[in-house]
Amino acid sequence: MPLPRKVTFTLLSLGLLITAPDLIPVLKDYHVFDWTSVAKVVDFQPRVRSANPVEEEQQRLKPEISVEKTPVRPLVDPKGALEPLYAALFATERKEAGAITRILHYGDSPTTADLITADVRSLFQKDFGDAGHGFALVAKPWAWYGHRGLDIKGSGWKIEPANTAELKDGLFGLGAVSFRGGAGAQSRIVLKDPTHSEVEVSFLSQPDGGSFGVFADGNPLEIVETESPVVTPSFKKLKLPDGAREIRIANVTGRVRLYGLRFGKDTAGVEYNSLGVNGAYISILARMVDEQHWGDQLQHHRPNLVIINYGTNESVYAKFVDTAFERELLRTIARVKKAVPQAAILIMSPMDRGQKMDDGSIGTVPALSRLVAIEQRVAAEQGCAFFNTFEAMGGPGTMGRWYQTEPRLVGADFIHPMPNGARIVGNLLYKSLQEGYRRHKLRIAREKFATIKESNSTPAN
Amino acid sequence: MLLSSSTYFIFLAALFLLYWPLSRWRAAGLAILLFANYFFYAKWDLFYLFLIPLGSTIDFAIGLGLGRFQRPGVRKLLVSLSLLLNLGLLTAFKYMPFLFENYAHVAGVPAPAWHWTFPLGISFYAFQSLTYTLDLYRRDAKPTRSLLAHLTATSFFPTTLAGPITRVADLIKQFERPNKQLDPADGGRALFLIGLGLLKKLLIADYLAENLVNRVFDFPGLYSSAEVLVGVYAYALQLYYDFSGYTDVAIGSALLLGIKLPQNFNMPYAAANINDFWRRWHISLSNWLRDYLFFSLPGKRNAVMPYCNLIITMTLGGLWHGASWNFVIWGVLHGVAQAIARGWQSWRGAKATPWTPAWFRTFWTVQFVCFAWIFFRATNLEQASKIIEQLGELSYATTNVSGPLWIVLAIAVAGHYLPKVPFEKLREGFVRAPFFVQALVLMALIVAIQYIAATGAAPFIYTNF
Repeated sequence: MPLPRKVTFTLLSLGLLITAPDLIPVLKDYHVFDWTSVAKVVDFQPRVRSANPVEEEQQRLKPEISVEKTPVRPLVDPKGALEPLYAALFATERKEAGAITRILHYGDSPTTADLITADVRSLFQKDFGDAGHGFALVAKPWAWYGHRGLDIKGSGWKIEPANTAELKDGLFGLGAVSFRGGAGAQSRIVLKDPTHSEVEVSFLSQPDGGSFGVFADGNPLEIVETESPVVTPSFKKLKLPDGAREIRIANVTGRVRLYGLRFGKDTAGVEYNSLGVNGAYISILARMVDEQHWGDQLQHHRPNLVIINYGTNESVYAKFVDTAFERELLRTIARVKKAVPQAAILIMSPMDRGQKMDDGSIGTVPALSRLVAIEQRVAAEQGCAFFNTFEAMGGPGTMGRWYQTEPRLVGADFIHPMPNGARIVGNLLYKSLQEGYRRHKLRIAREKFATIKESNSTPAN
Repeated sequence: MLLSSSTYFIFLAALFLLYWPLSRWRAAGLAILLFANYFFYAKWDLFYLFLIPLGSTIDFAIGLGLGRFQRPGVRKLLVSLSLLLNLGLLTAFKYMPFLFENYAHVAGVPAPAWHWTFPLGISFYAFQSLTYTLDLYRRDAKPTRSLLAHLTATSFFPTTLAGPITRVADLIKQFERPNKQLDPADGGRALFLIGLGLLKKLLIADYLAENLVNRVFDFPGLYSSAEVLVGVYAYALQLYYDFSGYTDVAIGSALLLGIKLPQNFNMPYAAANINDFWRRWHISLSNWLRDYLFFSLPGKRNAVMPYCNLIITMTLGGLWHGASWNFVIWGVLHGVAQAIARGWQSWRGAKATPWTPAWFRTFWTVQFVCFAWIFFRATNLEQASKIIEQLGELSYATTNVSGPLWIVLAIAVAGHYLPKVPFEKLREGFVRAPFFVQALVLMALIVAIQYIAATGAAPFIYTNF
């Protein structure tokens, strides 16, 4: 049987058209055919699927070569900006009475979902002790909001995140979200861990303020009045009965304005507060929250470390990155320094952010590297520590690589990590801080040793 | 080797050029096709070179036995062996991790490791292979004495990944037909179908997947209810364009080799009720389930059993798609809906005039199908419930659905509901066009795919099954 003529001619003509750009120099910019496909036809290499992509990625990013000799690159802290954190951790590790190390982690959507932060929290608490869940919002402003170990449900609240609020008074509490509620507004928070000993409600005292009730496992703890002649941030700390699992907070009279609940324990340990706002960018702290009000919130929480982790949302606005980002970052740092001068500040760069490139590959958003460079320079100039998440993950193109692993480490938007990807980033941050702390302890030991040696060598009078 | 990859088309073109000159000798033609089939399997995993010939040869021997023995007991034994073989393969290479996981969950022990799962779902192979022995058992077909034809038919590469599930006996008939020729019109239709399949898959399905569906299903909490709803509709369209695109490429590829495969889709989202939907969606699977499973279940004369059998059939059909509870729920939903629809029709009488206009019935059928797709697409029950929960939030922003996305969605909807006549005119116009015009049209499509579609196409959804 001869070849079917017409189809054969069509196929041969198509073959010629496809190969024309490779044969005719003037068409060389219009390649449509990848010649390596020909070799791939007879390539019988099985597709390699990793059974443990997370572990392998961690191994790739942090090969276990001598930590003694290898500086931990992603964490840049030449001036010892993290000393206040390390000193607090030292006391916590020694289980000194009331030695709670408090960390406030401000960020955007991954932080909102408690991705990365939940992993860092659990690592810190495993090594240094668990001082409780820390701060949680009153209800879920976004379905995406979460705090690992807490089940939060609320209804009847007028919820206003600082970046999208109708309210322009800047009074948004520690978590940059305000919850206004009248009759019927209530929230129920279920704790997986029943060993918390206290809950602290943060709210706004104001003229004509109503009251709210706090209940533990159905039993009333207290009715809190929020009326006050002046508008002022207030906090009500309440003891929790042993084994309390379900906390309910409900409006009782009038209208109240709440911010969040902080769950704590009596024991020494780490309290790692996840403070994310969906779609947040640096201006939320630089401008949208009232400086005095936010400063009061920071002072009340007495953090040993404040992490400023923004940049993902800004990175697609190249003009903002080039003209305004630095100014806004400086303003935020200045606000934190003014409010809590004793706290260490860590600027944490955003993760890689992917986008489809012209050739179909997943590359990095162009302005991201510039934004990370700005953060690093500002951190150095302002005496802050810097964590280069972007480089720690593997630098440009990481999102593309992580998207292609099975199971995927990032979502299809090339922005948000899947829980496994978040775990890797959380590990990278924690390991870097842990290494910094180890060096701190080593230095203290050396100094002590030198002092002892000096005092021993000084002849007695 | 995906049916949308350049590697596949090099393979197909080479096979076309080799096959037709050799096909004047029946055995040589079959041998080159069999070689191509096993080559195709080997591209996925070399283990198939052992598994598929062994399974097919056993089925061939069983077929000879069914042709020879007339005693019911022996025939039952033989067909049971074939069922055991094919369903055993399916269980061993697809369902063991699922069974182990559930066992571990119930028993409270760690799940035993199971390393014998393969990249290529063998569900299609097993079902296609079973058509041969089941047809012989029911005396609906005659056994072939040609091992070569049988091996070629059971492993025919265009149907390997995702159907259409074709009766092996029909394929054998076509393979054994003497003086095969490729009619120029069929050749043109084959190329048209391949081009159309690529367009459906790469320009529509993958675009919807990458720009909305995957994002919404990954992180439903980041999107408003309206966006999630659009995401669910977009998934319904993605799945249709992905699977029907694959089917077009498969049917076109087979037609290039002179083999005609059955149709698999007929405007499924125009169905007037759920039973109608299953006459239009994945037709080859619906027929298989009806002919080989539903009709085999007992209680046909009982008042209640046929309804239960529908649910059983669809539940097993759901499980056939994947080893997960999501697919079971999807199957149960469709089974229950079909049972209710059938009950309603029996009560009202088959010829009764419907109370509601056709568009109304189609609208609600599509809503139900899309709701069930949530379970089909979600990776687990938790994700499915998150999607449903987010739909219930009733938030209305649509800022994440871009202008181009709306346009692609509109094209996808219009493409699905396009009447057959203009489509057929377009196809016949291509068929009648001179060869160089055909080549230019195909080249234009390749350029469009190169510059518009996302490169590095995602695998066809149904190849996972």
